[in-house]
Amino acid sequence: MTESLYAVLEALPQTSLTTHILDALDTFVPGEWRNITVFEEMVKDVTGESDQAIIQQVGERAMQLWSDESTGYQRAVSVYKGIDSASTVAGVAALASMVGQKFEILSFLNDVTPKPDTTQAIDAGVKLAGELVAFTLTNGLPGDSVSDFAAALVNYGKEEKIRLAAWLAIDCVLPLGPDFILKILEALDGPLESLQESRAFQFVSAHLPGGLGEQRDTIKKNLEESRGHLEGLVASHGISQESVLAKVKEYIAIADDKLDVAAAALDLATNTFEHTGTQTVVRRVVARAYGEI
Amino acid sequence: MHGRWILVAALALGLSSAACKKDDPKSTRWDDAGAVIVNIATSSSAAPIAVGTFNKFFPKDGEGGFKRIYSADKENYAEAKLQKDGKEVAQLSISDTERLATAREKFDAATEKVEGYPVLKVGNNQTTALVNKRFQVKVASPTLDHEARKAILATFDLKGLSSL
Repeated sequence: MTESLYAVLEALPQTSLTTHILDALDTFVPGEWRNITVFEEMVKDVTGESDQAIIQQVGERAMQLWSDESTGYQRAVSVYKGIDSASTVAGVAALASMVGQKFEILSFLNDVTPKPDTTQAIDAGVKLAGELVAFTLTNGLPGDSVSDFAAALVNYGKEEKIRLAAWLAIDCVLPLGPDFILKILEALDGPLESLQESRAFQFVSAHLPGGLGEQRDTIKKNLEESRGHLEGLVASHGISQESVLAKVKEYIAIADDKLDVAAAALDLATNTFEHTGTQTVVRRVVARAYGEI
Repeated sequence: MHGRWILVAALALGLSSAACKKDDPKSTRWDDAGAVIVNIATSSSAAPIAVGTFNKFFPKDGEGGFKRIYSADKENYAEAKLQKDGKEVAQLSISDTERLATAREKFDAATEKVEGYPVLKVGNNQTTALVNKRFQVKVASPTLDHEARKAILATFDLKGLSSL
């Protein structure tokens, strides 16, 4: 049987390497994200209601909507999990040990081989397409409505906004530098096999219309349509290779200053899409339940 | 280099069960909700309301000085946000109560009306109308009061919605 909605949210850790990284990145989008991992707290946060009878009704309706697979909410969470686990080795967070107030990524993780630039760039593009797919499964815009998604990105808040900031910081700017969009678009223009080889793509492709070529075009269009907003976020929030590394190092001990190595280690050891994506989907189901009761 | 990745994977997989990163559920109040869920579902032979049907009945963009942004369009449910000066002011929704009798039945207690449709206050932050004994139109806002929310309800195309 499917896990209950409340259990899915409450399985998220209150403190983990991922939450520390998100706390570190909060500096770029201050005050947007709170690590809500208790279902009742999420219901209260969405509704602003304190009447326990209403909270119970909203919670139960949300659980009902979630348990109906045809609503798409469960698939949205699988996409968020998929695009993360494609890069995160399960349980690797357990290998990072707490040293004082900091997590320390174990030394051999510091020696991880960075992904080649092309692979890193393709994965970054695929992850944004995963965000589009999960958004569509959750909120129901037509599957090929890329322009609507670009407009929705501008209105991202809370968990959505920290997820986007984390993607920009760790998947884009840290390993690829300030002209990351160009690098992603160039990498996507390479042989289609490179796209097929991306593990994250396996979780996204089933939800994108058309054949491989058309899917590649959708991923590119998604990036091009969102480009202005994404570059604006990077500029206005001061997201640079130096600022990201400095922020992350306040929370996590990374022995190596090589940017691509740091990015690879962070990618391997965190699951920001799964963590905040689950919170986003739960928030949206609860908002709908509040509208329906 | 390749060998190192395999080492990482092997170690991680070996440890993942011993050091599970998932938490156990933190509350117990929802444990029994599974049984309730079966009870609140109402079966119906009526066709579901297709995606895209409700959008045109929302207030126009700019109405009352609010920017309107559609935020969800699902079968039986559509949602929009109202913004003023870039800040969210209200969540608007239209939903089909055909399969949720409790949502419909609460209007039996309604004493107010908007354009002839029964209206209720729900909790502190919601004002809701029932159109054609089937479609629920809601305005939720922690900052606007009941009267202000009622005024927004009147800017929906309730007559149009009743003709569905």
